Amino acid sequence: MHKWFSTEARTRRARSAAMAGLRLALGAFLLAGVCAPMSAHAAPAGCQALQAKYPAWKGKTLVNAINPHTPGYEAIDPKDPDKYVGFDIDLGEQIGDCLGFKLTYKAVTFAALLTTLSSGQADIVISDIYATEERAKAADFITYSKVFDGVLVAKGNPKKLTGINTSMCGAAAAENTGFVEVPLVQALVPQCKAEGKPEPTLQLYDNNANCIQAILAGRADTYVNDVNTVDQAVKANPDKLEKAIAVTIPYSVGIGVPKNKPEFRDAVLAALIEIQKAGIHKDLLKKWDLDPNNFKEPDILSVN
Amino acid sequence: MSLFVHYFSLPYLLEGIWFTVAVTALGLAGGLILGLVLAAMQLGRFWMLAAFARGYTVIFRGTPLILQMVFAYDALPQIGLKLSAIGAAGLALAANEAPFIAEMLRAGVLGVDRGQVLAGQALGMTPALLMRRIIAPQAFRTMIPALGNETVSALKNSSLASVISVQELTLRSTQLASSTFDFFSIFFASGLIYLALTSAVSVIQLLVERALDLDRTTRQGRLAVFLPWRRVDLSTKLNLAEPASAAADLAHSPPLDVPARLPRAASRSDRAAHPAMVRRNNVAVEVTDLRKNYGAQTVLDGLNLSVRVGEVVALLGPSGSGKSTLLRCINQLENWDSGMVRVGGRRLGHCDDGKPLSPRAIANERASVGVGMVFQQFNLFGHLTARENVAGPLRWVHGMTRIDADRRARELLERVGLSRRADALPRHLSGGQQQRVAVARALAPNPSVLLLDEPTSALDPELVNEVLEVIRRLAIDDGLTMIISTHQIRFADEVADRVAFLSGGSILEQGPAHEILTNPRNPVTARFLSVMEADKAPENKA
Repeated sequence: MHKWFSTEARTRRARSAAMAGLRLALGAFLLAGVCAPMSAHAAPAGCQALQAKYPAWKGKTLVNAINPHTPGYEAIDPKDPDKYVGFDIDLGEQIGDCLGFKLTYKAVTFAALLTTLSSGQADIVISDIYATEERAKAADFITYSKVFDGVLVAKGNPKKLTGINTSMCGAAAAENTGFVEVPLVQALVPQCKAEGKPEPTLQLYDNNANCIQAILAGRADTYVNDVNTVDQAVKANPDKLEKAIAVTIPYSVGIGVPKNKPEFRDAVLAALIEIQKAGIHKDLLKKWDLDPNNFKEPDILSVN
Repeated sequence: MSLFVHYFSLPYLLEGIWFTVAVTALGLAGGLILGLVLAAMQLGRFWMLAAFARGYTVIFRGTPLILQMVFAYDALPQIGLKLSAIGAAGLALAANEAPFIAEMLRAGVLGVDRGQVLAGQALGMTPALLMRRIIAPQAFRTMIPALGNETVSALKNSSLASVISVQELTLRSTQLASSTFDFFSIFFASGLIYLALTSAVSVIQLLVERALDLDRTTRQGRLAVFLPWRRVDLSTKLNLAEPASAAADLAHSPPLDVPARLPRAASRSDRAAHPAMVRRNNVAVEVTDLRKNYGAQTVLDGLNLSVRVGEVVALLGPSGSGKSTLLRCINQLENWDSGMVRVGGRRLGHCDDGKPLSPRAIANERASVGVGMVFQQFNLFGHLTARENVAGPLRWVHGMTRIDADRRARELLERVGLSRRADALPRHLSGGQQQRVAVARALAPNPSVLLLDEPTSALDPELVNEVLEVIRRLAIDDGLTMIISTHQIRFADEVADRVAFLSGGSILEQGPAHEILTNPRNPVTARFLSVMEADKAPENKA
């Protein structure tokens, strides 16, 4: 759930759809596909070969640990709360289709995503989690998305925040436990001191809803998180909230897999490459109104 | 408001109730089992187990439940124990509830009157039987409010299972709030659902309290029928079973004291002849060189006493002279430091090789040797009717059928003049009536010896006579072997064959009752007797 934001304005959905269509040879065909349910995507042709190469997961049901508090990426479907929906959910299903496994979901707090994985209570984590070196000590990551963050503030931006910078001195920032934004805000403390300004304070919560509620209740001045999440919050409370700015954060979003299963990691990477080759990744971004600039060719982040 | 109604009736949230209830039920059931084990370890005789249980309590009561949940969910898989989310939450909640429940159980057990436990022991009840029949039923009643509390608390604590992905109410509410942004409507709805659940617990608690209220349900509470210790009363079917029980009565008549059960004449001259008669009888109780100290204080100092079958011995002496301790030693209710007690020729409390017996073995021995005991404070079982106080031990200890036991209870209650109060609870009886029930209870198994420990000392003066009259009849009409500690000089004179005067833990003087009481040789005895004579209300002395 950490996405970040470039300081440029985010492109709007109509434009991104058009761009994707133009960029792809099969643009017209895929535009039709966007309107159809995702299951309309057949697994890419290369997936057969992958299932032959990585047969261990074929026919299995794996557990995907998610923190389902990020509409657009992973949240329950308001119309059918028994289902999880979002970009990450669809991407996971696509990977599963490609490698021949099904997914069930385990909802945990953000901070518990990786512990759930490493304790064996889950097989994979596809939950908008930023792949940092620190986290890569607990899990291997297959990165798949760039990160853009939005700075959510109360309507009118009373504290005049301009990003994760000294404009936050003296402000109260709401964040979820374990978010990468937490150390970024903490890093402002010495800077604020140097400028003789009061320190920023952090309030740690468990999920987006609580962070957003902290701003609505006047307890916190800002909540810095994935720009899409911020946009959704503004859309839900247009009279009370606004996005001060979007910022880039130097991370990628990654799929977490256990460190002791390199073969699984390689299989997921190979599947993701196939999915991207078939244009499905970009279709999904479009389907969920996400910025096509998020698109990133996959890498592996693994530290010992 | 419409949103609130929408969420309140949303199947997604309502299904969350199932998970909440499942985790709560696992936590409570597991906590109860584990709590029972912990409480038993702490109440037991083995200090190692008690120390272990203490340590467990310190750790699991002293750390947050949320950590225990995460531990059960994420750490246990490292040692190969991978529970489902509900399983891990249930385990953590059970481990956390156990020490609290154990303390409740302990408080309940310790809250049961010690005297009732002594009385149960004296009737030959094993520790397990005592727990099941006497302690648990009474402890359970006092624990219901606390159990209700604990249930509500566990229900609310189950919300912490949301951190380990259990799809219970709280987790579902936060997920829904994240996806719809209808924060307050959702949490009001889930708050109300919790309130409905906890209210249901309160209602159940009140119903259980009502059903087990002894004052409302003197015979059979509707719910009490389901409790193992209160089965359906068969007395309504008594007529059907009448013919079958006659033989059983015969089987229970005592072999030991048949020759001694000669009716005793009430007149003074006949009374004088009685000691000479019993002198030829076998020895019923023999106490040899009995010594006992409480710390530095010597309670019994090489005491010797021999009582023959059919003999009535009154123990006199100032408070603290060792009368009660002696009686309790005869019945193995207390240990002693050295010396020997034999009842009916059997050395009690020890194996043939001299090793001490287990509490269970002692209980069985008491039941088979047959030493009845009547206590100063009556010590009736508070949750049982007068009839059940008499009949219960007959069934549990002596294996009588309910019909036989009820018949015997009715006979005995009639003998002590209480047949009309058979269904009354002890707390609804006067002190004198309670003591008469206690006498009936002690007589029920046909004891070879009856020990009476200041049977009238706790009674109001106007109630003393009804009890003395019952005891007098036992001595004179039934020829029962009895050892009575008492301050009632005149009563001792009337009833006892022999009087033993105790002081400082040994017998200072003993001999034929009338002779000692009218013409004591020892100056200490003489002084005591003159003080007692001067006291106009000696029966009030404890």
